Order: sequence, then C-alpha cells, then structure tokens
Amino acid sequence: MTAVASSIPPEWYLLLAAAVFCVGLFGVLTRRDALYFLMSVELMMNAANINFVAFALYYGDLTGQVFALFVIALAAAEVAIGIGIILVLYRNFGVTDVTVPTEMRW
Amino acid sequence: MIDVFSYVPAIVLLPFFSFLIALGAGKYLPKGGAFGGVAATAGSFLLSLWVLATVAGGGAVNRTIYTWASAGGIGPTDVELSFGILIDPLSALMLVIVTLVALLVHVFSLGYMNDEGETGLPRYYAGLGLFTASMLGFVVADNLLMAFMFFELVGLCSYLLIGFHFREPGPPSAAKKAFLVTRFGDYFFLIGVVAVIGTFGTAQFAGPESFPALADAALNGSGSVAWTPGGVELQTWLTVVGLLILGGVVGKSAQFPLHTWLPDAMEGPTPVSALIHAATMVAAGVYLVARMYGFYALTPTTLAVIAFIGGFTALFAATMGLVKDELKQVLAYSTISQYGYMMLALGAGGYVAAVFHLTTHAFFKALLFLGAGAVIIAMHHNEDMWDMGGLKSEMPVTYVTFLAGSLALAGIFPFAGFWSKDEILYEALVHAPGEPLLFGGYLMGLLAVPVTAFYTFRMVFLTFHGEPRSDTARDPEPVRWNVKGPLAVLGSLAVVTGLINMVPVQKVLGLEGIDLLHRWLDNEWGGIAGLSSHHYADIGPYSSQYIVGGEVATVLVGAAVSLGLALTGLLVAWQLYNVPSPTEHTAKLGGIKDVLYNNYYLDELQVWLAYRTEDVAGGADTFDQGIIDGVVNGVSSVSLIGGDRIRQVQNGVVSQYAALLTLGLVALIVLLGVTGGWFL
Repeated sequence: MTAVASSIPPEWYLLLAAAVFCVGLFGVLTRRDALYFLMSVELMMNAANINFVAFALYYGDLTGQVFALFVIALAAAEVAIGIGIILVLYRNFGVTDVTVPTEMRW
Repeated sequence: MIDVFSYVPAIVLLPFFSFLIALGAGKYLPKGGAFGGVAATAGSFLLSLWVLATVAGGGAVNRTIYTWASAGGIGPTDVELSFGILIDPLSALMLVIVTLVALLVHVFSLGYMNDEGETGLPRYYAGLGLFTASMLGFVVADNLLMAFMFFELVGLCSYLLIGFHFREPGPPSAAKKAFLVTRFGDYFFLIGVVAVIGTFGTAQFAGPESFPALADAALNGSGSVAWTPGGVELQTWLTVVGLLILGGVVGKSAQFPLHTWLPDAMEGPTPVSALIHAATMVAAGVYLVARMYGFYALTPTTLAVIAFIGGFTALFAATMGLVKDELKQVLAYSTISQYGYMMLALGAGGYVAAVFHLTTHAFFKALLFLGAGAVIIAMHHNEDMWDMGGLKSEMPVTYVTFLAGSLALAGIFPFAGFWSKDEILYEALVHAPGEPLLFGGYLMGLLAVPVTAFYTFRMVFLTFHGEPRSDTARDPEPVRWNVKGPLAVLGSLAVVTGLINMVPVQKVLGLEGIDLLHRWLDNEWGGIAGLSSHHYADIGPYSSQYIVGGEVATVLVGAAVSLGLALTGLLVAWQLYNVPSPTEHTAKLGGIKDVLYNNYYLDELQVWLAYRTEDVAGGADTFDQGIIDGVVNGVSSVSLIGGDRIRQVQNGVVSQYAALLTLGLVALIVLLGVTGGWFL
C-alpha cells in the first residue's frame, strides 16, 4: 500500500463511487437498448466495489476486499444470464429495445 | 352388565343408516330398500323395548354425548351447546311408540307402495328412514336446542314425504304449505330457544342445572336467572318465553290457527300420513310440552292459553270433520281434534292424561290411517266415501280393526280412547273452577265428544255399511298379509291400551295399583328427579275441586256424561247413515255447510293476510337490496376500482419500472434525511 493511497481521505473515494453510480443510473434510466442496460448495471456494481475497497483501506482489514471479489464474480455470472436474456429477447422480438416487449403487463 | 344406555344412539342411528342405504343403494336392492328400513326400525324397536325394560328396572340416564360449542360470559355458567340423551319414563315410552308405529308403517308400505307398483321407492324409504331417525333423535334429546334441530329435521322430512308424488300438482303445493306453516311456528320456537339460553345459560331439560329447575328456584327466590330483558318481571318473562316455544308446538301439532297445513298433508302417501299423525311430526309438539312440563307448570297463564287453544281446536276441527267426503280428510280433522284434547290435558295440569292420550291415539290413529290405506288400495285409490259402502263383507279384517280404531277414537267404553279422553276431561273438570279459560276449554272439549263420535261413525257407516255404491266397491282389490298384519297388531292395541291406566276403575272400586301409567310417569320404577308427574303437580298452579259430591261421584258423572255424549253422536250417525243407501244430510245445515266445507275460510284468511304483508316484504326487500347489499357492493367496488387504477402502473416497460425504483429509493433517502435531521 502506498502512502499516496492512504493519504487520500475516504470522502474522495465516496464521491468517485457516487459519481460512477449516477452515471450507471443515468444509463439505466435513459437508454433503451438492453446492452447499454447491462453495461450501466455493471458501472453501478463497480461503484459499490470502489466503496468496499475504499473502506477496506480505511479500516485496514480485508473484509471489504473479499466482498469486492465476490461482487466481481457475481457480476460475471450476471452478465452471462443478462446476455442470455438479451439473446432470447432478440429472437422473440427482433430488437434489443427494452421498451418494445410489453407483453408482461396487466 | 351391559349398559343399555350406550346403545341409545343406535336407536336413532339405525333408521338413519337405512336412510343412507336406501338413498345410496336403494335402486339396486329388492323392494327399493324396504327391507333395510324394516330391519332398522325392528332393531330400534327391540332396543327401545330393552330401554323400556331397563327404565322399569330403575334405570334412567341424562348424559351429554358431544359438546359442539361452548362459550363463556353469558350468565353465571359457561354456555355449552351439546348433543345428549335423556332417557326417563316419558322418553322410553315414546321411543317404543315411535319405533313400533314406524315398524308397522314400513311393513304396511310393502303392501301400499311396492305392491301397487309405485315408482321412486328408494326415495320413499329414504324419507321414511330419515323421518323416523329425526323423530327418535327428538325424543331422546336432552336439551332444547337439540330438540329444536331434530324438530326442524322432522319438518323437512314431512316436506319430502308429503310431496312424494311431485309430478302431480297437489302434493308439492301441500308439501310447501306444510313446510311454511310449521316454519312460521318454528320461528317463534327458535326465538324461544335463544331466550331460554339467554335467560338461564342452559337449555338442559333435566337435572339441578336445567332450565325448569333454575326457573323454579328463581321464582321461589332461592336462585336467580342470568338475564331478563330490562325491567320485565320474571314471571311475565317466563310466560313470554313459554308462549314463544308454544308457537312451534302450535305449528307442529296443528293447533288453531296453524292447523291448516295438516288436512292438505293428506296428499302424501297414506302410510306417511299414518306416521305423521300417529307417531312423528304432530306428536312432536305435544311431546315437547310434556318434555318441558316442569317449565310450563310454573306459568299459569301459559297453561290456561294451552288449555283454551286445545279445547277450541278439539271442537273446531271436529266440526269441520263433519262434512268431509274423503276418508283421509275426516281422519285428518280428527287428528287435529285429538291433539287439541292432548293440549287441553296439558293445559289443565293433566300431564299423565296427555301422555296417556298421546299413547292411545298413536295406536288407534295409526290403525285408522292404515285401515284407510287398506280401503284405498281396495278402492283403486278412490278416497270418496260416497263411492264406497258395503266393504264390510269384502274386507272383514280391515273392517273389524277399523271398527276397533273408530270405537277408540269415538271414546266408547272399553276401548283405549275412552279411558284417555275421559281422563283428560276429568282433569280439566276438577281443575276448572276459578279458571275461566280452562273451563271454556273443558266445555268445548266436552262438546267435541258427540261431534267426534258422529263423524267417526258417519265415516264407518259410509265406508263399510250399506250397499256398494260403485263398481270398485262391489269388487274391491284384495289386500295381502303385509297390510293385514300391521292392522291386526294395532287393532289389538287399540282395544287393550286403555288397560295401562284405568284410573276411574281404581277410584270407583278402590283397587290399588292399576293406574300403571300414573305410577310409571311418577318415577315409581325409576326416573330422573324433577321429571315426575308428582313434581309437576307440586309446582303447578292447580288444585282439585269436585263440583259434584266427592271424587268418586265426579269420576262417575264425568265418565257417564262423556260416554253418554259419545253414544248420542254414534246413534245419530247410526240413524242417518247406517241405511242401505245413505244420502247426504249436509243440506240441512244450511249456510253453515258451506262454511264447514271451506274450513271456516281460514285458508283464504291466511292467504289474505299473507298478501297484506306484501308491502312489508317489499320494504324489507328494498332495504336488503339497497342498504345492506349497497354497503357490501360499495366496499367491493372500492377495491375493484382502486385495483383497476393501480394496476395501470404495471405497463410492461422495464425502463419505467427502473425509474419508479429509483424514485422510490430517492424518496426513501429524502424521508430518512428529513427524519434523521441531515438538513437541519
């Protein structure tokens, strides 16, 4: 661990994570393509990872880092399932636009 | 030693099983399931005899079998609603009567229904089985609520059986009438049951915690009741409760003014009429009063009302029987009249006399109805007496037994009916001084004696004597053993049943101990404390006064008067109708004839009254449809419309779900921030 990393106060990490999270959220709310959706979700997860790692550094234990590893593994699995869903979506509707398939409604 | 009382439920359940068998498998069985019914009632009869013997040996039981609901907070004790059995001399006697008549009716039905090629026999035997089971359940009931339930079942079965020939227009209408008219009375009974439970916290018939005992204690001041409606004096309230329960009795036992269903009930098959009139439905009302006599004896007003209704009905129904042309109609009015006598006896404090008449009447009326059934078979289902005549030489067994039943009904010495009717009139007479209502009942009961004898022998002479007046009467269809057998049994009983209670003979000759029924109902051989005729006499309001000389003189004069009146009626009938070709003499009655033919226009009156309630019923309907249903529909439509609006949110667009999710999160954070004080 470098002295530079530990000399940065945790607020900066939190601000960075919040910024990344908001970028992901903005993507989810504005984009209509399912692939962008997936990528935005990925961004939001990584924002959470930044928080985990930052606090692990701040408190000096490894729990947060372990959690970050878990989240990365989870994200990999999520991408596999997400892409599968998008493939099925494309097969059934011919588009990857999430606003087109509105079959699951009242 | 085997405990016979644990088999008492079997007495009720055997006919119930025959009902299930006939209903489920009747069409695969020979004779439409009849043998199941015969076997079940025979089994019940044997068990009842055993119970009777056990009671005679000193046994009696008051046992709760199953408690199906219990609740605290009403009255001093917890209220328990249960099924149970109460076997004392009264119910043991009634069990034997009901099962014997039911057995004979089942056997007779083999001749009346099976041999006549009726269809729908499984339905018929199922109905008979359920009818018998319901009545037996009613007889053994140990509390008022259970009695009420079986009372209703009896009403249901009468509906099913009266309407047996449901493809013809008459029977379904008669069945509906019987159901509705008795239900009108039962409505008051139901309120009475609730009132009893509310007042005493119990509906038990027997024991120190029973409602008659509690009422007695409360009136003596040595106890109190749980509840009376605000400000009403206890005596008044008990009278009201007694009259409410009497409503059910008046309906079921066909007393004025709710008797109108019974003559119409003749639309049912004749064996069913025998069962209804002799042992089950109509007997249920009188039996109920006898069962809770410890309660009625406490309220003199109720007793007086019972006596007056009974005496009035006895005379009233007898007059209508004078002019009827159909055999079963005459018998129907005689039933109403005879039950009037029993009510008169109960109201006059003649508990034993009433039970005595119930017993003898069960036998001779079952006999008369089965005899009428035999005649109807012979006449190819023509019931008009003016088409009969001369049947005495063609059907001697029926004639002799029918004659025995008629002599009993008319109250001719020494047949069964003489003893019981005489005792009723005697009880009414000695208790009447100072009781105007009771005295009125007595006079009407006395007046009904010659009328009864007259219509009974008018019926006998028209049916069996003289020249045959139609081709079927000249060549009647023969009847088989299954008709003659029950007739012979009941005929013998109609002759000898009077022997069980020869009180006049005892009093006049000074012979001790031949008043068996008195000693039986006085728990001399065994019974339950508080349910004896002695106890009822002690708590009852009456004392005996002999208006002619002493007791013996009163007995003799009373018997002589009623026998003289009966013989007068018989002789008049003899003069008018025992001729080779009798003619109608009703024209001599003038305008009264039409009134009697039309049953005093009571049916019309009831229909008129029913139409008068149309506005009330319409108002109730509007209230129900508008207000009650309106509230319910309003509540449901709020949910419906709300749900309809809210589900629009779920529109299938994933982006909007995400947006809502985010908005929700932001709202939560803001909420937490405001309450957590971040912005201060």
